[in-house]
Amino acid sequence: MPFIEFNGQQIEVDEDGFIQDPSIWTKELAEFLAKTEEVEEMTEKHWKLVNYLHDYYEKFGIAPMIRKVTKETGISNKEIYELFPSGPAKGACKVAGLPKPTGCV
Amino acid sequence: MAGKNRKLITLQDMKKPQDVQLSAPDLNSYMKLPKPYDTVESQPALKEPKGSWTEKNITFLDGYAGIENLVRPETKEEERALVEKFLSGLEKILSDDTNRAMIQPLLLSLEYCAKCNTCSEACHIFEASGKNEIYRPIFRAEVLRRIAKNYLDKNRKLVRKWDENDPDLNWETIARLGELAYRCNLCRRCAQTCPLGLDNGLIAKEIRKIFSQEMGIAPKPLHEKGTMLQLKTGSTTGMTKPAFLDIIEFIEEDIEEKIGRKIKIPIDKKGADILLTHNAGEFMAWPQNPAAFAILFEEAGLDWTLSSEITGYDSVNYGIWYDDYQAKQIGTLQFKVARELGVKRIIIGECGHAHRAAAVSLDRSVTGEHYIPRESSLPLLWELTRTGKLKFDPSKNNFPVTLHDPCNYVRSMGIVKPQREILKVIAPMFREMTPHGVDNYCCGGGGGFAIMNSMNFAEFRNTVSTRKKFQQILNAFADTIDNPDIPKYICAPCSNCKGAIRDILEYYDATEKYNLQYDGLVELMVNALASMDRPYLEFLIEEEE
Repeated sequence: MPFIEFNGQQIEVDEDGFIQDPSIWTKELAEFLAKTEEVEEMTEKHWKLVNYLHDYYEKFGIAPMIRKVTKETGISNKEIYELFPSGPAKGACKVAGLPKPTGCV
Repeated sequence: MAGKNRKLITLQDMKKPQDVQLSAPDLNSYMKLPKPYDTVESQPALKEPKGSWTEKNITFLDGYAGIENLVRPETKEEERALVEKFLSGLEKILSDDTNRAMIQPLLLSLEYCAKCNTCSEACHIFEASGKNEIYRPIFRAEVLRRIAKNYLDKNRKLVRKWDENDPDLNWETIARLGELAYRCNLCRRCAQTCPLGLDNGLIAKEIRKIFSQEMGIAPKPLHEKGTMLQLKTGSTTGMTKPAFLDIIEFIEEDIEEKIGRKIKIPIDKKGADILLTHNAGEFMAWPQNPAAFAILFEEAGLDWTLSSEITGYDSVNYGIWYDDYQAKQIGTLQFKVARELGVKRIIIGECGHAHRAAAVSLDRSVTGEHYIPRESSLPLLWELTRTGKLKFDPSKNNFPVTLHDPCNYVRSMGIVKPQREILKVIAPMFREMTPHGVDNYCCGGGGGFAIMNSMNFAEFRNTVSTRKKFQQILNAFADTIDNPDIPKYICAPCSNCKGAIRDILEYYDATEKYNLQYDGLVELMVNALASMDRPYLEFLIEEEE
């Protein structure tokens, strides 16, 4: 497994840079991961999306369906790609500390 | 003919040392795409591979890597283990005792090939690659055949121990063969065309099986995050019962907001006629599909239910792509859910490999007390259309539509007519792809490719394995491709195919530029329902707004 270095710590990530242990996720780590996703600054909208994803994951153990995300955050699919260029699954979920989405999604 | 810049690859090349890469991705050598993607400049440039995996994984076949845990051995012992385990796995797949279900077609395919190459002409990956030798269907088979010939006797028992000085076999051969087993979509177009009925797709799958069962090597999305996660949580998406129920509640609200109808989706209804099973990816990525099924089934007054039991809400079975044992375990659990619910039959939603797994592959391996009739949803949907239980106003689908035929239920099960008869009723501008029906081409996502995205495998899919399908799509819409005001709908009634097609459209930016849209069949049916007072398809709703 590859590792990334954050605040002097070695953090385990998968081949695509998703952290392996969601429980170590913090705001600072999110900001750090955002930089790897070509997000220079986490704006209020970025946080709204990331917090929603993180909270849903804590409750249900999976990422929320994309339609639910857009409806409940009011951020459209197109806007998500503007916020996170690699999209909701690869970009936003990674920053929110979720594991990489699996299955036929 | 090999591509312009390409040297002919021979079987001997498979054992070249790891610093020799047999072929390199090259857009100039690939099959030409139709307008507006007819120049290399109109296609996205290939990406230079980067990351630690380029040193670790098996990139020295063709520059791509698809299997996360197939890595270069670091010691002589590891090299030996790789080869020896492969050989013992080979003996097992060629033994009546350990491969009873597959041994007959496998032996026929290994022993009777006359190398006529009819299959090569039929293979979309071989054609799309510009006829790159390593992707020729019989090339892979021949590598396996020669190893078997050298190491097994007439009774198919291992008769030799591997010697590291063997001029014909080294660890690099095995490593390359492992990756090469994942350059085939298992679409079986080659098997259909073979004059002797031999199946090179099966050979690819059996190689995958050796790697999985004997060596513990398989793509992570198929095994660790696939069948293993499904056995643990009930779904390859990791969806648990509470998550499933949350999603269904959301879909019910969404239906009401979208079309103004209050629909209660039946869950765990004992003794219902139908247990409808969906690929759980539909709930996550395409909830409009299970919603459309609910709308149609309710309108037609069917006695149906979904299941919230573990494995009852995910019809996928990735086991059939790489590991029969995993396939059987999952199938058994899925059938058990239906038996315990007391339904009369399982109706399989729009998922191709779930059709093949539940209706065909498991027919011989899950029997007895778990037996339950399994049927495709397509003939049922045609029945509801034909008998007028569902009434349509086809003028609502006033845009060009083409149909993609999922290999798993079209070629493998012969379900060809229902979906076309429905389209003739609901889509006045329906046109076929060329060729179609049982002669269709794979979407390029088959055999697990649609969900294999680690390292640089997605680029192989988007540029090579889906290339033939993209060509067919562009040709089907040649009359209107230039006009971005006209939406062009690719009807793909299969979750896996939809995933592959979604990625093609995204990769080539074809929705944004040329208004190519895609979704399943039931969405198009709901859009044309006479009783609906507003459009159902997302791109029509957006247009209105």
